[in-house]
Amino acid sequence: MIEFKTGNLRVPKWTRPVYMVAAGTTDYRKRYPAKKLEELCMMAFRMLLEENDLKMDPLEVKGLINFACYGEFADHFQDQLLCEAKVHDYLGLDLLPNVGIKTGGATGGSAMLMGATTVASGMADCALVLGWERMDEVKTWTGNYYISTAACKDFETRLARNYASYYAPMARRFQEMYNVDERVRAEIAVKNRGYACFSPFSQQPGVHTIDEVLEGEIVSDPLRFLECCAMSVGSAAALLCTEELAHQLTDQPARLYVAGGSHTLRTGDRRPMRIPLLPNESEEDYRELYQEMEKTDGRWPGFESFGATRFAAYMAYRMAGIKDPLEDLDLVETHDAFTISDLQTYGDVGLTLYGREQDYVTSGECYHENPHTGQPGKCPSNLSGGLLGTTHAVGATGIFQAGEVLWQLQNNYDKFHGDPRIWERYGKKKPPDWKSLQVKDPRRGLAISHAGVGSHVVCTILEKAF
Amino acid sequence: MANDVKLRTTPSEITNIEDVWVLHFPRFGKEGTHYHTYGMLTPYFKGLTEGRLMATRCVNEACPISNGHGEKWLPPRSDCPDCHQPMQWAQITDPHGYIYSYTFVERGGTGLEVECPYYQIDVKIEGVCTILKGYLLDRKPIKIGDKVKAVFRTESPTNTCLDIAWQLL
Repeated sequence: MIEFKTGNLRVPKWTRPVYMVAAGTTDYRKRYPAKKLEELCMMAFRMLLEENDLKMDPLEVKGLINFACYGEFADHFQDQLLCEAKVHDYLGLDLLPNVGIKTGGATGGSAMLMGATTVASGMADCALVLGWERMDEVKTWTGNYYISTAACKDFETRLARNYASYYAPMARRFQEMYNVDERVRAEIAVKNRGYACFSPFSQQPGVHTIDEVLEGEIVSDPLRFLECCAMSVGSAAALLCTEELAHQLTDQPARLYVAGGSHTLRTGDRRPMRIPLLPNESEEDYRELYQEMEKTDGRWPGFESFGATRFAAYMAYRMAGIKDPLEDLDLVETHDAFTISDLQTYGDVGLTLYGREQDYVTSGECYHENPHTGQPGKCPSNLSGGLLGTTHAVGATGIFQAGEVLWQLQNNYDKFHGDPRIWERYGKKKPPDWKSLQVKDPRRGLAISHAGVGSHVVCTILEKAF
Repeated sequence: MANDVKLRTTPSEITNIEDVWVLHFPRFGKEGTHYHTYGMLTPYFKGLTEGRLMATRCVNEACPISNGHGEKWLPPRSDCPDCHQPMQWAQITDPHGYIYSYTFVERGGTGLEVECPYYQIDVKIEGVCTILKGYLLDRKPIKIGDKVKAVFRTESPTNTCLDIAWQLL
């Protein structure tokens, strides 16, 4: 669709408000032979019920749940259809209804979206959203083939069988159209993997340098190994409910807004269109960009941007009353499966104008502490360690991100990341140089859950409600 | 050219059912073969094996976007997404274009049939509203904007999208 009609742009209007009150997660590992999949899901579920300071006994909380939304990206990896039934039974939730949700990399976000709509509609008063992925049954390069079946089978999959090779042309085009220094992409890998060092859940924490990233082995030019996330195993969970239950369950609830967007499976099929404007943008802001595009045979969103992300943010901002993202959001979690997707997203969600994404990163405002000023960054991104540093256990990712945002809003970063016992639970030792990445008094946070080369995107916004 | 990118594959078997190509994709040997139809896009894949690049275009005058003279689509699609009416086939004669973006694939996932390393390129073709992904036979350094022409694998074709490749002009 390249021209919208009024109905297409209707802003979602839920029948009643939806709240998020608790989150749970496992740690994440490339291989996790110690636990079966359903055992991992139980770990996340238990943390959700037992460790979020809920004001009821865990089994009483469980007694409130009346719907479950489960996220799993790919059946191929485990060769198990209807894994939802196994998990649901294992968690002791039979005979309640559940649905499985699948939208590629955005599966976790879509599960949040569907869980929210069950509460918003009255279908449920209390919904469990839980996701997982187990990617360790096959060798990495076979896993890469499985993931590449999320490219077009007829016209693309045979041209790489490795998903980085479908992101790399976007990175190349973005770099050349916007004169992006490769060091900016490398900086993102360094930042997010660095933040992962403070998370007991993280799979790939690491103190790296920009030079080290750029000197690393190339996966698909221009993307290097440290710029790509890894196969991951783990599970994450969220508890959503009505306003009334939220206040009964916790002193620290968060109001939830979720919206989605979608776009072509094949990048090259994105036809040119006008940019749907966010509340803080005007046509004038993009006059020059359109002129530049004419010179370079460019188009929006083309290879440089994600139309689905823009559409999801367009809707979610209107639902949540966000006028200026940089002012109104206090932290974000982007879908940094690759450094380039993190970079591209800053324009899509309006933290900066399209074409200026590089400047936004180098401004330092996406850091916990702005490296140039030593002051807190205006809107830190991926304090969780992101997909690059912590996890892309695909079906869990979008839910994990929402959990991290919730804990930030609750001022609970230290509780979940700084407690040595949580590190020990996963066989790790809290590092002696651990530091808190708690944002000071955050009010709103956003998470982007993203599939394919931008085929499905969900924008989740959490707002402190206490 | 000896250095040209080669394919490491055997031609996929095809069943022809009422002029529609059904591609055999043996995942677990003969018994575990998937039979994947090209449906109404058969003229595209058949065309490649005969040295023709076939696109589709909307000719419906009532279409709000094409107004009856739409640009070509590659990959083709049988029905127009804007008016839902059948599109028409149109051959692209002497197909050439320029590199809109690219990557150098150093390593692919299990089962990749193209010999690494190679350039995977996105080709912008005049009069086509979409951008077609393909692979380049050359391995020398390239840049966005470089002109390319199509080469068809008419001898022992794979009967897949790999039957069209591109060569620097």
